[in-house]
Amino acid sequence: MLAAANVADSVTLKIASTAQQVSLLSEALHALCLYATGNEKCALDVQCATVEALNNVVIHAYHNQPGHEITVCWYRQDRQLRIEIIDNGDSMAALPEPVLPDFEAEGGRGWWIINASVDSYFYKIIEGVERERVLFPGENHESVATAKPNAHRNILTLLKQF
Amino acid sequence: MVMNEQKHGDIDIVALSGRFVMADAPEVRERLKALIDDGQGKLVIDMDQVSFIDSSACAVLISAFKAMQLKPGRLVLVTSPVVQALIELTRLHTIFEILPARPAALEAFGAP
Repeated sequence: MLAAANVADSVTLKIASTAQQVSLLSEALHALCLYATGNEKCALDVQCATVEALNNVVIHAYHNQPGHEITVCWYRQDRQLRIEIIDNGDSMAALPEPVLPDFEAEGGRGWWIINASVDSYFYKIIEGVERERVLFPGENHESVATAKPNAHRNILTLLKQF
Repeated sequence: MVMNEQKHGDIDIVALSGRFVMADAPEVRERLKALIDDGQGKLVIDMDQVSFIDSSACAVLISAFKAMQLKPGRLVLVTSPVVQALIELTRLHTIFEILPARPAALEAFGAP
């Protein structure tokens, strides 16, 4: 896990897309939230939401493939914590409804936990586009202009007041 | 996470401690399945020393509960406050049999 403190109230953490690294990062995040807020309940709530969000990235965005990067940016501003979870894997078409599945179902509780643990959350997909323009001498317009999809980022932002 | 297996008469006890999360789920799932398959239908999962749990761990508990129902047998959970909080949040406390400490769990099976 790589950590970098950018400014006084923000920390960026990077992990590989494995369940072991998710556990390590979420424990670090819990300690950070506890230090920043002095509120155990708040720190635990953030950890609960973050673990579920990171598990989703490992399973659904990266399909349990371990060689990918996940970045978690943690910010404290006034009395609010903001956690951004950034990946380059498959994007969600829509945010799942935070509903509990039938008891028999073993999965599907993650978004319920996220929804209950933070005040609000939203998901952003930043599409990267590579645009190519070719200019030739004596021509005052582009001879070739192409655009193709490039790397993209998915950012899940969690907000929690303390 | 540390997993410790014990026996009290014909009751199997699995004591978990530390963090019980997605990284631990496959190993715990496999051990619980083996214990349920080979045991006498009496299982206590003691999570009194578990400091954190996620939905992947809940899935393992549900899997064990369903396997014990099929056997048929009885599964009793002992929870720490953090485990209890997530189980209640996900409403699983309405299904699981939960007791506050290991002696009470053993007593529920009629153990001395």
